[in-house]
Amino acid sequence: MSRPRAATPPRQTVDAIAVEPLAWREACASQIEGGWRFCGAYAAGVWKARRWTALFARGAGAIALTTDAGGASVPTIVDLAPAASWDEREAHDLYGLRFDGHEPLRPLVRHAPETASWTVPVGGEGTYQVAVGPIHAGVIESGHFRFHVVGERILHVDPRLFYKHRGLEVAAEGCEAPAALPYAQRACGACAVTNAVAYAQACEGALGLVAPRALRRARTVLLELERLYNHLNDIAAVCAGVGFAPGNMAFAALKERAQRLNAELAGHRFLFGAVAVGESGIAIAADRAERARGALRELGQDAARAWREIAFSASVQARLGGVGALGREDAAELGAVGPAARACGLALDTRAESPGLWYGAAFAPAAPPAPRGDAAARLEMRAAELPVTFELLDELLAEPIEAAVAAPAGPADPIGISRVESPRGETVCAVELVGGAVRRLHLRTGSYANWPALAHATAGNLLPDFPLINKSFELCYACADR
Amino acid sequence: MFVLLRHLQRVRRQAALSRHSGSRSLAIRHVDAGSCNACEHELTATAAPQYDLQRFGLDIVASPRHADVLLVTGPVTRRMEAALLRAYEAMPEPRRVAALGNCALGCGVLADAGELAAPLHEMLPVDIRIPGCPPSPQEIAEAILAAVDAP
Repeated sequence: MSRPRAATPPRQTVDAIAVEPLAWREACASQIEGGWRFCGAYAAGVWKARRWTALFARGAGAIALTTDAGGASVPTIVDLAPAASWDEREAHDLYGLRFDGHEPLRPLVRHAPETASWTVPVGGEGTYQVAVGPIHAGVIESGHFRFHVVGERILHVDPRLFYKHRGLEVAAEGCEAPAALPYAQRACGACAVTNAVAYAQACEGALGLVAPRALRRARTVLLELERLYNHLNDIAAVCAGVGFAPGNMAFAALKERAQRLNAELAGHRFLFGAVAVGESGIAIAADRAERARGALRELGQDAARAWREIAFSASVQARLGGVGALGREDAAELGAVGPAARACGLALDTRAESPGLWYGAAFAPAAPPAPRGDAAARLEMRAAELPVTFELLDELLAEPIEAAVAAPAGPADPIGISRVESPRGETVCAVELVGGAVRRLHLRTGSYANWPALAHATAGNLLPDFPLINKSFELCYACADR
Repeated sequence: MFVLLRHLQRVRRQAALSRHSGSRSLAIRHVDAGSCNACEHELTATAAPQYDLQRFGLDIVASPRHADVLLVTGPVTRRMEAALLRAYEAMPEPRRVAALGNCALGCGVLADAGELAAPLHEMLPVDIRIPGCPPSPQEIAEAILAAVDAP
């Protein structure tokens, strides 16, 4: 198969613009009006030297607006970009920033003991709260959900995450750029490749390096291998969520095969250690690549066969339709990304805008089978994306994957920003380097972006359907908590 | 449905799993104390058809009240310390603690020290150690079975 892929891209640069605090809202508003999408914000520095940076994306481009936050107070932008809500709450908890106009600024990362301080007040006859977690009944990551319900009907849910906050961003500060990669990678085992590639690309952007063809191919293979085992896992999880054991077990078995292939190709079932800053961490010889292609073809056929059984199982489908529906406008406003956003009909796939990877102009994302935004649509979206991943891997592995080193292409920049599509959506990594060492690392994963959308989609549903809604998004807690 | 069941049968045949495993039973309660989620993936995979840990009488149970073993992943964050200890206190005696993965064993932990509580072994008596980053489903299965079968 020969489809045009991207030629060596020009060096990715970031427009870093300093903004006066008084002009902050105006500057952000003009970006949004210009068609730039808010994709993250972070605080940096200490005390009087604190800064507040907001990131915007359009196509493959990125803009970083930074304002002085030494006075501890910055005008809010949540009314302009509701997706910034968690970012502002996090900056308040971890950096002590206040956001004028963001009222009430509820704690997010900091676990305040008084329930009323971090939950939305819900009242009225017959309303009560159900507290779930941080420990859950199955093998599930730790996180707390406070449901406000009437009978079995959920009126509102306040997720309280960050039980797994390990301070990875702070721990990375001061490390040499290549040495800090594990902090980004281990933010999450299931998105390890995405996080590592996002970090490596951000560093390379700051160091003035570009990835040659071989490096772009190697990273794209790893990203698609990661998407493959995650999508198989996530389909299994939804089957488990509706109590459909044959589907759960079939896809768990397929996922196991994908992970064994990971170990064969990269020496690790989760592909840890296969990404490095400025170079490629893997090489796959022609004969091994060909064997992997064969195994993937077989896996693809088995996955398609298993999927047909789920798609035509009336009792499974009857459990999914209309559950956890997320409207298209709400998804866009809340900043939803990935399969969850695409299942609402938003054409949002960062793979189409990744000049540092292999996809290029030839990349055609899967069309959502029925973009209703509910649990069924999210499941179908993942199933529809599997063939695209199999096709990409088949194309990539037709040639051996060779060792590669990033090439210098310009002077160093103080900041590098990279966006990479994880199995759960766009992950944004910002890295500030000083003398080759990390001054600030910020990782805003697809899971982080989607949690508010998940909470929104939960309202109005039945309490016993929450595990299913949760599984249909299948967000990582570790990725969000860092 | 029949296609799926046939597929599972084939997987089980290929995995060459023994049907009988002697009589034993162990109820395991998992607590994630700040892992990266890889250990959870591998623990879940022990139930996949290629391993099928249930055939040895090993079960992940929904409550610490039902559990013989507290299986802990992650380096124990400050925010998970209280919940972890309460889960342990809720367990009936005799009870055992298993540390799953290098983080729970306190090895090579990546974190800001200020965000972590004490290492697991300083907090609870760790009886079963399962190293790895993450340990594979095979290694998890073998370590737990070895602990059950130990005299």
